[in-house]
Amino acid sequence: MAREYDHLFKLLIIGDSGVGKSSLLLRFSDNTFAGTYITTIGVDFKIRTVDVAGEKVKLQIWDTAGQERFRTITSTYYRGTHGVIVVYDVTSGESFANVKRWLHEIDQNCDVVNRILVGNKDDDPDRKVVLTQDAQRFAEQMGIQLYETSAKENKNVEEMFLAITKLVLQSKKEQMKKQADQPSDAIKINGRSKDKRTKKCC
Amino acid sequence: MSMSNKQIEEKFLQKEEKCIICIPGKMLDTFSHATVQLYIALVARQDDHGLFIFSVNKFPNPSINDLDIDKVVPVDADLRTVSEVPDISQKKDFYVLHLKSKFINAQLVLPDHTSTATFLEELTRAQSVYSNIVAFGNPPTFAWLENYNRQNDNPFAKDVFDPFVKNNQVKKAEALTKPPSLPVAPPRRMRAVHIRNGQSLPPPVPDRPRNMKEPISQRITDLSELDPLRKAASKQSLDELDIDDFGGSSEFPDVQKMLGLGSSEPSTESGAKPVSARETIVKYMMNEREVEFTDISKLKIFVGTWNTNGQSPPISIAQWLQVDPEPPDIYAIGFQELDLSNQAYIFSDSAKETEWQHAVKSCLHPKGRYRKVKLVRLIGVMLIVYVNEKHSNKVHFIDSDTVATGIMGIMGNKGGVGVRFTIESTSICFLCSHLAAHQDELERRNQDYRDISSKMRFKQFVPPLTIDEHELVFWLGDLNYRLNDLDIDTVKSMIKNSKLKDLMSYDQLHRQLGRTEVFKGYSEAEVTFQPTYKYDINSDDWDSSEKSRPPAWCDRILYKGGGITSLKYRYHPELKISDHKPVSDLFDVEVRVVDEEKSRKVYEDIMKQLDRLENDYLPQVKLDKTEIILNDVKFIDTKEDILTITNSGQVPVNFEFIQKLDEPSYCKPWMMASPSKAVITPGKSCEINISVYVDKKSAAVLNSGEDKLEDILVLHLNGGKDFFISVSGNYIASSFGSSLEALIQMHGPVREIPTAQLVEIEQPGSLVKRDVLNQGGRLYAIPKEIWRLVDHLWQYGCDQEDLFQQPGLNKEIQLIRDCLDTGAPEKIPGSIHSIAEGLLLFLESLPDPVIPKSVHRRCLECSNNYLLCKQIILQIPEYHRNVFRYLCSFLKELLSKSQNNGLDIKFLASLFGDVFLRPDHHYVPTSSKSNKNVRSVAKEEEMKRAAFVYHFLSNSIDDV
Repeated sequence: MAREYDHLFKLLIIGDSGVGKSSLLLRFSDNTFAGTYITTIGVDFKIRTVDVAGEKVKLQIWDTAGQERFRTITSTYYRGTHGVIVVYDVTSGESFANVKRWLHEIDQNCDVVNRILVGNKDDDPDRKVVLTQDAQRFAEQMGIQLYETSAKENKNVEEMFLAITKLVLQSKKEQMKKQADQPSDAIKINGRSKDKRTKKCC
Repeated sequence: MSMSNKQIEEKFLQKEEKCIICIPGKMLDTFSHATVQLYIALVARQDDHGLFIFSVNKFPNPSINDLDIDKVVPVDADLRTVSEVPDISQKKDFYVLHLKSKFINAQLVLPDHTSTATFLEELTRAQSVYSNIVAFGNPPTFAWLENYNRQNDNPFAKDVFDPFVKNNQVKKAEALTKPPSLPVAPPRRMRAVHIRNGQSLPPPVPDRPRNMKEPISQRITDLSELDPLRKAASKQSLDELDIDDFGGSSEFPDVQKMLGLGSSEPSTESGAKPVSARETIVKYMMNEREVEFTDISKLKIFVGTWNTNGQSPPISIAQWLQVDPEPPDIYAIGFQELDLSNQAYIFSDSAKETEWQHAVKSCLHPKGRYRKVKLVRLIGVMLIVYVNEKHSNKVHFIDSDTVATGIMGIMGNKGGVGVRFTIESTSICFLCSHLAAHQDELERRNQDYRDISSKMRFKQFVPPLTIDEHELVFWLGDLNYRLNDLDIDTVKSMIKNSKLKDLMSYDQLHRQLGRTEVFKGYSEAEVTFQPTYKYDINSDDWDSSEKSRPPAWCDRILYKGGGITSLKYRYHPELKISDHKPVSDLFDVEVRVVDEEKSRKVYEDIMKQLDRLENDYLPQVKLDKTEIILNDVKFIDTKEDILTITNSGQVPVNFEFIQKLDEPSYCKPWMMASPSKAVITPGKSCEINISVYVDKKSAAVLNSGEDKLEDILVLHLNGGKDFFISVSGNYIASSFGSSLEALIQMHGPVREIPTAQLVEIEQPGSLVKRDVLNQGGRLYAIPKEIWRLVDHLWQYGCDQEDLFQQPGLNKEIQLIRDCLDTGAPEKIPGSIHSIAEGLLLFLESLPDPVIPKSVHRRCLECSNNYLLCKQIILQIPEYHRNVFRYLCSFLKELLSKSQNNGLDIKFLASLFGDVFLRPDHHYVPTSSKSNKNVRSVAKEEEMKRAAFVYHFLSNSIDDV
């Protein structure tokens, strides 16, 4: 039977309350934007299937409550996550300052995970307080990619999600390759000779 | 130049298989008369033998590494071998070996060498071994050869040029990992053969072994799985899709059901969700929107048919195939009575076939370069399809089939052959048939049509394709329909007078076309040429033989499908070798071409749409609140609130409050949600009672400020999101649940003491820390609350029957709580029994029991020794000892009045044993046998606790 996807990845969106995590998800999954602000009380997820270089990748994207009081509970949702999207609000210096804490949170709850930094609400230059170059410098320091997005104006949202998906896919492939290289010599020789035989029949 | 058996075994064979002999040779291509170098080996696996034919990639002097397995043939009853030995007299210095079975049909030329003689001897021996085995009734299956043959006996491969091979090349294992966009190289072997040969290998045998069917269909399925664009674009895959599933309705199908939503657990962390129907929907939706990403392209198709009456081809048939100024894009040439020899019935090969194929190939339009798509022949009925080279990469999914309708429905003297393929995104099927002859056999002809159209199956598809499942169908051949109701002279005269239109009205086919079920949906261009049957050979004269058949339009070309325009329907009287004249029709045909870019966009759009749908079908609920605040929660007072969950989604919601990481329950011990799990159908609501009740177990931590009345419930929708529901309240501190250490420091009622102070004095060791006495403070010897309760019981309850045995009333106990916590009223309200229970509850709520937990173990150990027991009591903190002594004195007092209250020492010892030495309430299963031991230990401890207290009730306690 046909398979629905080639890969299934779980992505997690974290960041301070009100930076636009749910809006980013809604834009990506439903291509909609609701002007009204509704605090996420809990965790929600949406799915979306994307095509990355011919491979069907099904994303299950989890949107978490950003409120401080839920911090300990939301940390339990980090389990099994392949990629984390850390969001701040470019119009809020505080939310940017808190990014470090969120990154720390990731380190505490995940072993190895792909991360991406997202400055959302990048649609009004007058209100922008977190300068691109500052964020960029910080991102480079932390060794993560930075995307400035606007869920409202659908700016860079698709690109950002695809970027993290590609990162995750790449990691998976590297890992698979590593695993393939790891087995003992005996197995390897065996496997190879078998391959050879199959080929010869063509 | 010879290959050793060992080399063959090591490189190609499995351990159990032995190469008996391997010799070089050549294969004669009967058509091109070219020879192909090869090696042939006889291989044994126990008593079974197989012939392995190896192609050679390098010549001369090939090494073992230049060999590839080309073909594997079981040595079984089906394999017929005829060998011709060298004959010097005829200057024949080689052996010829004819091999014929359903797997092979070839002539091998083998060198005159002793090894060849040995090989032939061994082959004969192998055949006799086989017959012996069969004679014993146990024919071998040759399953071991299947592995070698699997990729080889590909019905697509043999008759096909390179670009086509791509379709068949996606191997199962690779199919899943390889990105579809990468072009798949044709197999090396095929290319090698093709290049060297300049021609394709000998014609295919019509039937392929049954066991080949599976892998081939598998391959096609895999291919379609791989490339959504191609898949969606190609009609083939659409044909594959069972449209019937959708009931032919243009309405959107029941996607919810197809997605498997609402019934199964959708994807969560656990990962995959078996929504295999999704691909089917994608296909369907792509099909629905096909116009958005396909353009129309025009092709010219030349369709020709000729009953050649068993003749060999003339020098040229260009007068038939080359009459148009421009080269057609596709040639479909059909023959009937190609071979009338008896041999043709017995052997599947035919010299006529190669002759005619050659004739066709050499007379194709000179302005075009053509490649053969497929040749298929059933005795005398043959169909060859060629495609202009420039389109060859657009042709996919080639298949053919034959249906015999002759004598007994199996002899192939009559019947039909078909070739189907997909060009761009359009499926085309060509049918060449020879229907039953003779004027009177109209019904037989019709029946032949029905048989062919119902039995023809292109079996590489799952399920197999029928003729009618093609967008474009061309049906050509000697359909043998005659003219009704006219005598031969009238016919001839009408022809002479060019009354062809009138004459056509007597044509059996013309009469029924469009009026009956026969050839339903087919059209025919207007026939403007005279009947094509029956002529004297090598003339344009009507049949002058004894039989003197009346002229008829036996040879016809019909078509079915949209976008087909007949340009020139004609006959070719210049070719006179047969009693039939060839006929042709040149068609303009519209085919759909997929715009890959547009197709990708539509595909993405559909994926998005389905994702959205899937999101919409995730469980959704609305909560009337996510925060529950309960004011003023008192000890043993139930506070409640209602949380309403409404299913706002499209599927039933299965919700449950789930525990947070590392927590034993979904909520704190003082809370309860009821129900804690349930199913809500769409549109319906569920009311959940959230209640808070602080009892003797949870009071202490709340009093001490160690815990607060705050918790977050995680409401989990199965397969969906989680909600966090905050529940909080302010707890009114009570003397119940306060520690003895704190209680003796409280001068006023507990409600009058500031929270901060309460928290301070509740900390263990606060007495020492605060150094109350030295600070000029005052301490009670025993908590005033205990004193008040005991004093009340002593004053009013000493003579009460069933004291400590009858339960109190909850309401009254709550009043007692308030009385103790507020200090008013002066006299404790409620009945004696309520007050007695209040006392017990008070003692049971103490964070540390009257006898501190730290000494419980020792108490039990020396419960049979009063002296030791007394020593323990002397070591416990004074405020514990005071309470203990006070209570024991009170109990002794009660016992002294046992004649009135009926109390006995054993009962009190037992009751207060559990109060003073309150055990930790471990869960003790009551049923399991394995826990018998645990239970007997518990029982024993209970007795020890009673024994401990018994000492103090039965002895003087003045020295304690």
